[in-house]
Parts: sequence; structure tokens; C-alpha cells
Amino acid sequence: MSSITAPTPAVDPDHPPVPVRRGRRGTELTMLAFAFALVLFAFANVGYSLNGRLPSGLAEYMAGFVVVVLIAHLAMRRWAPWADPLLLPLAATLNGLGIVMTYRLAAQGNLLSAPLSPSATGIQILYTAIGVACFVAVLVLIREPRVLQRYTYTLGAIGLLLLALPALLPSSISEVYGAKIQIRLGTFTIQPEEFAKLALAVSFAGYLVAKRDVLALAGRRVLGIDLPRARDLGPILVVWAASLLLLVFESDIGTSAVFMGLFVAMLYIATSRTSWLLLGFVMFVAGAFAAAKLFGHVGERFNIWLHPFTGLNPSHNAYQLVQGLYGMASGGLLGKGLGGGQPYITPLVQSDLVVTAFGEELGLAGLMAILIIYGLIVQRGLQAATSVKDPFSKLLAGGLSFMLALQVFVIVGGVTRLIPLTGITTPFLSQGGSSLVASWILIAILVRVSETARRPPPRPIQDEGLTQVVTLR
Amino acid sequence: MNRALRRISIAVLVMFVLLLVNVNYLQGFQTASLAAKPNNARAFEAQFQYQRGDIVTSDNVTVAESVASGDIYKYKRVYPRGPEYAPVTGYATLYSQSAIELYENSVLNGSDSSLAVRNFIDLITGKQRRGANVTLTINSKAQNAAWNALETSTGGKPGAVVAIDPQTGAILAMASYPSYDPNVLTTHDGAKLNAADEALLKDPGNPLLNRAINFTWPPGSTFKIVTSSAYLTKNPASTPQTNVYSPTQLKLPQTTHILTNNDGEVCGNGSGQTQLLFAFAQSCDTTFGSMGMTLGAPVLNSFAGMFGMNSTTLRIPMLVTPSNYVIPPSQALTAFSAIGQYSDTVTPLQEAMFAAAIADGGKLMTPYLVKQVTASDLSTVQTTTPTVLSQAVSPAVASDLGQMMLAVVQSPEGTANAFNAAAEDGITIAGKTGTAQNGANNTGLDDAVFTCYAPYANPQIAVGVIIQGGGYGASAAAPIAVQVIKAFLGK
Repeated sequence: MSSITAPTPAVDPDHPPVPVRRGRRGTELTMLAFAFALVLFAFANVGYSLNGRLPSGLAEYMAGFVVVVLIAHLAMRRWAPWADPLLLPLAATLNGLGIVMTYRLAAQGNLLSAPLSPSATGIQILYTAIGVACFVAVLVLIREPRVLQRYTYTLGAIGLLLLALPALLPSSISEVYGAKIQIRLGTFTIQPEEFAKLALAVSFAGYLVAKRDVLALAGRRVLGIDLPRARDLGPILVVWAASLLLLVFESDIGTSAVFMGLFVAMLYIATSRTSWLLLGFVMFVAGAFAAAKLFGHVGERFNIWLHPFTGLNPSHNAYQLVQGLYGMASGGLLGKGLGGGQPYITPLVQSDLVVTAFGEELGLAGLMAILIIYGLIVQRGLQAATSVKDPFSKLLAGGLSFMLALQVFVIVGGVTRLIPLTGITTPFLSQGGSSLVASWILIAILVRVSETARRPPPRPIQDEGLTQVVTLR
Repeated sequence: MNRALRRISIAVLVMFVLLLVNVNYLQGFQTASLAAKPNNARAFEAQFQYQRGDIVTSDNVTVAESVASGDIYKYKRVYPRGPEYAPVTGYATLYSQSAIELYENSVLNGSDSSLAVRNFIDLITGKQRRGANVTLTINSKAQNAAWNALETSTGGKPGAVVAIDPQTGAILAMASYPSYDPNVLTTHDGAKLNAADEALLKDPGNPLLNRAINFTWPPGSTFKIVTSSAYLTKNPASTPQTNVYSPTQLKLPQTTHILTNNDGEVCGNGSGQTQLLFAFAQSCDTTFGSMGMTLGAPVLNSFAGMFGMNSTTLRIPMLVTPSNYVIPPSQALTAFSAIGQYSDTVTPLQEAMFAAAIADGGKLMTPYLVKQVTASDLSTVQTTTPTVLSQAVSPAVASDLGQMMLAVVQSPEGTANAFNAAAEDGITIAGKTGTAQNGANNTGLDDAVFTCYAPYANPQIAVGVIIQGGGYGASAAAPIAVQVIKAFLGK
């Protein structure tokens, strides 16, 4: 068999070769070189700005980062050769900038806000390594996105369990700044919701693909809206309501908003029915209004959003948002330069408000570039979703891409006061492990879907009547 | 499904466009308003990251500078001449500024739009950004003489001195007593700053008040310059030698009150008629009280305005408290208003402006304190061009008034004869004394007032002095003006 399965370079003059689509891994490597150069320059910039010399540990940090990302690249050469060449460099750039910002915040603080621990940069690189390990694992284990469809219910159950876990655990283990969203294991913490998002997205996709015809067609028409049958919609409605309730109970409004958007968007992609969007929007507004009335901490978010500058003192709840805005304002068009601003004045700037730190030090120009990088990742994901043939992969990639976009919208819109600020992590940029690892898994799934979409069809190597022998590599 | 995906893509595009528009609005258009928020620690500390510009006198004496402080605010403000220049420089503390430090704050701290291009070049060339220097119109010799005279010769009485270049309006000296040392307010220790600030605010002497421009007293007889100007303008045929009505006692209408001269003395030869020049030199209240009633309050009011009184908008660049002429409700009070009593009030600056207008042929120049602004690379950013505030009187009337003011100092019967040219190293001073009664029942000591210019033939400096409770203008105020003139002219 080996002679048959081996790629055949021989050219048959009667059958000129089908134009071979290139894998573009070389392009990817070139783009990665840019990403590395950018991160290296940013690192050096921080050192020169703060101390007038190259930062200590620059070589180690850069080497660690470059090696980890190159491993991801090599894994793609081996297991996803046809994948989109932009996803990895874009993700690596953001991840690298996140590491640089962690280093920058560890290097300088003031009396009120102590700098991050000196080991924070190394830990962030370690998280990157774990993230890339998961990335590679996804590529190795999931050769076809379709196989995930088998685990629709398993992943749904796991997702719910992960969400419920912090709520069930005692507060001493799970509570952080009033929200019960983490599991503390010694000095390390895990935020299970980051992984629950992925599990539930896969579960939603599997369920909706199986039921999309009945959801779209069977049912009664009420007030111009086609309502599906309860037995079709029931399970998913239960999952959705349960997740929302849990999130409200855990005081994590931002994530519940992302869930809601993910759910509605996937429903819409699956059924192509605009009425779902309308219904989803109405339910969201009604839900948000009810939550603002019922739960003090939700109403307070709205109040902070509308009146951030009243009651100006450090203990006031709007302090964090206001300081973030001041930071961005002080950055202006071109920013203070990495290491030149005072992002540490903003409390917890390394997690939810990291975007304001970039706005302060890289300015409007840098922040727009970062937003455009996110936009490109989402665009590549949606592109993969559009071009892949299998409906499950389509729905999964479309849903995950939209979720990433929504997450960026909720957090960046929140810190820039476009919408009320609800604390969620900024993918790749926030300091912390769970979000980073989950983001890498998300990218891995998009890479896999794009690989499936771009992989050329099997080429015939024999043309002998109806039975063809094809190469499957 | 692809149609739905494309629509989702459009939704995503809209979300990102919203984010981009919003960050553009935030970082492109809202930066100034956010930086101005009172609790913005970044904007607050940013003020102190650059070296603030110096304030120097026109003859290059540094009166305010920033030196390295070694703490987080990097620079500390120092005022080498302390209280002498405090009314001019003001202070720049961690939290606030006053006087020139306030009014020229944006150029001193380098944030002014006129410095934006230079700051950008400094950014590119890697040069440390620095605020611009402000050059004052103040002459250090005149200022020093004014301050020393106030501090030593009045026995601690409050008062102020202003000297002006009559031809340009440039303020040559501006001293106020009692004053304060702005160096106590430049500490970076918040508690110390509060304590020093509170001590100054509670000080009964009110040292933070700049009496040269922000406090008023009755002008007394110096207002006779305005009354005479109105008379000579309204009676074009008259000259300083014209005889005017000058009774020993002036009966005022609709009242039993009788206006007499100082100590009831006789004006002129007692005939009831005397030369205007003589009445002015001797400062006969009856003459000018009668003259004011004849002219009428509206005429006096309009001439007071021509000399810069009643103006609520005069800035040097600090806002000057208006010197007021209030139209009296009766003829009797008009007589008092014509001799600088009733509700007439003036600042020492206004006193200097009286003499400056006469010295410059009736043309009153707008007083100003900032000569020019120089960037850290020594290039000139702004230069003040002298402007005319008003033509107070015609050159002919100004010349007549000049003769009359000369007589006050130079003729034997003049009230300020002690300072004639022979006594003052040949400097010919022309002036007018004032001794203003104050309070409803004339309680307390009279305020001493003096306005003058010198040299008579070629006026280079006009001085206004008011000493609260100083007594006679000639004995308490005039010596100070003379010291300033001599210091300025280098005699």
C-alpha cells in the first residue's frame, strides 16, 4: 500500500494536476516573525522606559514565548497543514502583548497599588505554555470537528457542572470580589466558566444541528413568530435558563450576557429565522431590566454606567471605571508609551481593565490596532464557518467566533463606557490562566474548522472507471 | 446557514465599528474634559513631571523658578525674593495657583496650545519638555525700592505702590504690604501646606490680599485731577492761570453743612477768587467742591471713566478691582465727590493711572504686567503690544494739568513742596497729594495718597501710592513714591 498512499509527484501529460491549494504554513511563519518582533520591541520598550535599559530576564521570557508559539506552529504543520495562516500569528501577538503588560505591571506600582508579584510574568508564560499544550491536544485529538457532535449531551452536562461548581463550593474557595466564579487550589485558581463556555457552545451546536429542521419548521405561529414545539426547544431552554440562573446566583453578569448572545446567535445561524433574534433581544432587555430591579448589584452597574463621575472618591463603586477612563484619556492619540503611563492607578487593571492600560500606554492608535486584531480573528473564524461544508462545524465555528466578538464587545465596551461595565476577562490580554487556556482552545477549534474547510478534496491517483483509489495522506 | 452567517458577520462588524468609534471619541475628543476632572490623579501628577518655567523681571532678576525636589513631583517651586514679589508672582502650590502663576499657568506649565509644536519637537528630539518663561514688565530696582519703603517707612501700616511706564502702560513696580512668603506654600507635604494656608487665611493683616489692585480707598484730593480735567475741557477758554471761585467756607445747598479747607485755612488771598493753578497746588477743597457742583455729577462720572475708573473688565492680566465713582444723590454730596470723598474709591494702580494719563499727553495706556513669554529654547512665544485704554483728556488739557501738578511739588505753596527738584537731586516731579478721610464719622487716621510722574520734561515713570491711616499724603505717601522714582531713574 505504501506505494499507493505516497504522494505522487509524477505528472501525467493527459491529466494536468489540479492547481494545488497551498497550506500557507510559510506565510504563517513569516507572520509569526512579525509577532515575535512586535513583542520583543514592546518588552524592550518597557525596560528602556522604566529603567533606561533592556529589561532583566528579557532573553528568558522571549525564548519561552517564542519556543511555545513555535511548538504551536510546528503542531499545525503536522496536524493542521491546510489551516488558516492568520489565526495563530494573531493570537500569538495578543498573547505576547498580554505577557508584556503583565511584566510592565509587575515592574512598577505606586503606594496605593502594589505592583504584581515579580513571578507574574513567568507564570503568565507558563499559562501560555499550558494554553498551547491544550491547543496542540485539540489538534491531535480532534481531526474532524464533526466528532465533537457525538458528545453533545456529555459536554452539555460537563458545561453545566462546571458552571455550578463554584456556586456549590463554599465561598472561601470560590468567591472573588463578590462573584462566586472560581475554584481555588492552593495559590492557583481556576475559573471553570471559561471552559464551560466552550463546552456549552459545542453542546448547543450539536443539539441545534440535530434539531434545526424541527425547530425551524414544526410549531405554531403566534403573533407572526414561529414558535417551535416545546419538546424540541425544552432541553435547550432548560440549559440556557439554568446557566443564566447560576450566573445570576454567582453574580457574574458579563458572562451571562455572553451566554445569552451566544445562544441567540447560534439559534439564528441554525434556523435562519429572524424572529429568533427579535425574541432573543426582547428577552434580553426584559431580563436585564428585571435583573436591575431585582438584584442590587445589577442595578448598581447601570447606575455606575450612567453616573460614573458623581461621588468621586476611592471607595465609590465607579472608581475603577473612572480611573480606567482617566488612564485612556491621559494616553490620548499616541499613548504614553509602554512603561510611560500610570496604569497601576486603576484597581485590578491587569484583569478586566487591561484594555485601559493598553489605551493609556499605546494610545488610541495602539488600542485600535488591538481591536482590529480581535476583529481579524473573528473574521477568520466566520470565514471558516462560511466555507466549511458540514453544518455542525459551520454552527460551531460561527458560534465560537461570535462569542469571541461578543466577549470583546462586552469588556471593551464596558471599560470605555459604551455599555455598563461587567467584569469579564479580555481574551489573551488579561492576566490569568483559565481565560488564556480557554482562548487557546477556542483558537484550536477555529483552526481545525478552517483546516477542514480549506483542505483540498481527495485527489484521484488512479482513474479506472467507477472505482477510484484516493489518497488520504 | 451561510446567509445567517453573513448577517451575523455584519452584526459583528457593527459591534467593532461601535467600539472603534467609541474609543476614538474617548481618546480623541474627551481627553481634555476627563483631564480636567477634579479627582484625576494622573492629570494632577502630570503637571509636576515637567519643569515649570521661570518668572523673571524685565531686567532679568529671577523671581520664581522650579528646582529638582527629589520626590514624586520632581520639581519644587522657589521664590527667591519672597514677599517682595508675592503680589506679582502669586504662588503655585500642589493644588492651586494665584496671580501670574495662575494667569500664565498654561505657558508656565507648558500645556498652552502655543507651545504644542515645540513640545512635539522636544518629544521627537528626546529633549526634556519644559514650561515657557514669563518675563515681567517689573523693574527690579523700582520694585525693591517700593517694597523696602513700604516695609520700613510706614510703621507697619497697610498700603501699596504701583509704578507705570506712562508711554506704554508697562507696570514697573507693584508692591503691597503686608505681604507673605509664597515659599511656605510650595511644600509637597499636604498637611504642612494646609497649615501654612490656614495661617495665612487667618492672619488679621490679610497678607494674601494684593492691595495694589484688589483693595480700594478714597482718592481724596488726587481726584481733583479728574475735576480739573473736566473743568478745563468744558471751559476751553480757561487756563491754569484763570481765576476760579475759592471761598474760605463753601455753604452746601440743602444742608447746614459747610465745606472748609484743611484746618480752615484761607485759599489764596481770601478774596474768594484765586488762580486755578494756585488752588490746585494748595489743594483747596472749597474751590473744587464748588467746581464739581457746577460741572455736575454726570460730567465728573464720565471723566472718571476716561481715566479708567468704573471699569469691571480691566486685567493686567489679573482682574483689577474697579475704582468707582458713584453718582451722588445730592448737590452737597457731589461737592464731596469732586474732592475724592463721598463714595469715590480707587486702587493704588488707579492712582498711578491718573498721573500716567497726564504724563502721556492725556493718552492712558492699558497697564500690563507681562512683557513677553519665552519658550525653553529662548524663542519668543508672545510679546505684549502696548494698547491705548482711552484718551482721557486732550494734549492741551494734559499739558495744563501737568503744569498744575508741577506746581504741587515745585512751587513754595504746593502741598508736596518738600520734594522739589532742589531737594531731590534735580529730579523734577509733578504730582498731587491726597489725604482721604475715611469711615462714616471720619474715625481713624486719614489715608495718605500720592500720584505723580517724573521727570516732568520727559516722563518715564508714573507712581501711585496709598498708605492706609498714613495721615497726610505729602508726609506718608509722597516719600515712598519719590524713593521709587529715584531708584528707577538711577539717582
